Amino acid sequence: MTHSKSLIPKTLFSLLILITSSFAQIEVEGYIGLDSQSYSDKNNKHSNNVTLQQQLKLTYEKENFSSVLELYAQEDKSDFSNTKENDRTFLRVNEFYTQYEGEDYKLLFGKNIRFWGALEVQNIVDTFNRRDSRNDSFTTDKIGAYNISYSHYFEDSELSVIAKLYEQESKMANSSYMYSILNEGQSYNDKLESEKSLYRPSLYLAYNGSSYADEYSLDYAFIYENGYDSQRYFTVNNNEYKQHAYLVNKFMTYNTLVLDSTLYKLEALYANITENKNISDYIHIALGIEHTLDALSSGHEIGLISEYYYYDTFDDNKLNDLSLGETFQNDLFLGLRYSFNDADDSSAVGGIIVDTQYDEQSYYIEYETRIYDLAKVKLDYRYIEPSDTDNTVYSQLGRHQRIALNISYHF
Amino acid sequence: MIKIVLPTLLSALSLFAISNIDVAKKNDNVMSNFEDSKSKMTMTLINAKGQTKVRQMKSKTLELDGGDKSLMEFLSPADVKGTKFLNYEHAKKDDDQWLYLPALKRVKRISSKNKSGAFMGSEFSYEDISSFNIEKYDYKNDEAKEEQLHGTEIYKVERFPNYKYSGYTKQVSYIDKKSFLTLQVDYYDRKKSLLKSAFFTDYKLIDGVYRTGKIQMKNFSNSKESILTWDEESIKNGLTKKDFHKRVLKR
Repeated sequence: MTHSKSLIPKTLFSLLILITSSFAQIEVEGYIGLDSQSYSDKNNKHSNNVTLQQQLKLTYEKENFSSVLELYAQEDKSDFSNTKENDRTFLRVNEFYTQYEGEDYKLLFGKNIRFWGALEVQNIVDTFNRRDSRNDSFTTDKIGAYNISYSHYFEDSELSVIAKLYEQESKMANSSYMYSILNEGQSYNDKLESEKSLYRPSLYLAYNGSSYADEYSLDYAFIYENGYDSQRYFTVNNNEYKQHAYLVNKFMTYNTLVLDSTLYKLEALYANITENKNISDYIHIALGIEHTLDALSSGHEIGLISEYYYYDTFDDNKLNDLSLGETFQNDLFLGLRYSFNDADDSSAVGGIIVDTQYDEQSYYIEYETRIYDLAKVKLDYRYIEPSDTDNTVYSQLGRHQRIALNISYHF
Repeated sequence: MIKIVLPTLLSALSLFAISNIDVAKKNDNVMSNFEDSKSKMTMTLINAKGQTKVRQMKSKTLELDGGDKSLMEFLSPADVKGTKFLNYEHAKKDDDQWLYLPALKRVKRISSKNKSGAFMGSEFSYEDISSFNIEKYDYKNDEAKEEQLHGTEIYKVERFPNYKYSGYTKQVSYIDKKSFLTLQVDYYDRKKSLLKSAFFTDYKLIDGVYRTGKIQMKNFSNSKESILTWDEESIKNGLTKKDFHKRVLKR
């Protein structure tokens, strides 16, 4: 098993080397960033965090053929100081794939990242790639998944057949990291548990397209999955956490309807669990509206965003949303985007997420701009008021404030 | 005698007069039939203090009846490299627009209502950089005024955007009488005040079609200006609608 696992990257790497060595017209891009976060106090967790981030992307293109290698590395200051280690220092292959694009089709083989979804705060159908649990869930940090895919193009639509080759294990930060699920004295075994082999492929059939009329236009997508669910659950034994994966038949859709200057969005999924005694069938639905107001006389623009998320399981005798750590189960988001439309692409986004079921609120504001055309700067502030009565993810985090600054140099 | 000659003379002169809409049609004709184009674009942003910032893009356009399709890829600054903007233009309704964000691998549908919004923080709006199409405007049904602009004989044509969310109430274009190429456009804001002027120069004749080489946009309200230049432009490349499907954003 281990042998076949190591064979995939080796084969891909050899293929990439073979392709690129003969031409060597490789495009290089990436960034170096510094991420600094400070939190309101919490016992036995570091009250601040500094992370150095680097990303390097190599792209080779020749006619219809292209190969991509994207590496990401980060170093957490606590892993190099005399304090408790967060264990958040790593080098990761984000993407490593090769693809051929014909007149009406595309063939892809390797590790890549896909995006599925339409909403702004949370994309419940964006299930193809896992997020790296060593970073906080407020940032999008997805890991590529090894797969083979074939896409066929029609006039205004596209049909894809995708086979994800194995189910990835998740790494976890140590308990000293603010957003680790672990508390002091607890550990995590990163061997992913499953009733079937993790090399059992997950199969996806995806169809997406657009339709147009005088009064509206619509982008739609439908996805069927037979394979491992993106939702997982934990068990704890002698203070050791283990993560479990299970098989599912999943039906997903995401759509954006444009009517005048308003976008109406829908993401929805139904999961039919094929064989697992702990997990119930479930649904997850999200609706969103995004409306852009007239530009102000200054040229600035304001966008209003509202989104609602609903999650429910069908069998009350199995794990529920709290046990599964689902945070968007009956939540309303109200937000505002302010675009300055200046040369530095400055913008501010803020909003409140209200959990109507467990009486929680999460407030945030983000501002980003560019300095001297060299550095991208992002500043954010978050405040979380957790539930007093229920054991939610936020109640485990506690009443929480954070301020974060991210500066990155892109090349 | 005068009663007979004067109407006859005026009638004869009117044969040589040209209406606003006819000037616009000739102006449209002289720039049309390029079928499709590929080019590199450089935009220089100049603030009121004279400090400059440079943005680079590459662009593809497909000429179609009822509205062009265009795809723009940003090359600099580095943090937006790979960002793509796909636009299906419509003369009388909102354009269909998508943005590709490479960091997220996300194709995002966006609202095109604010065509008056600044394009990449420049003094150009999305409305300004979209292709000229006479269906986008109403014209007064009278003769085009003949004037001189820096020694060049021109037609001065007033046009009124019919898109309800346009940032302008009126545009005045200065069209060369000989070539029917646009030399200057004055833009009047929603308060009917002169907001900006665009100066069109460096026209290039490519495969029998005139293409704009440089537009300098001066904004009188904030003393900023932006210069857009087109380089390495080619037309009639054989592009089709498939080259402008939203799937190309992810390439």
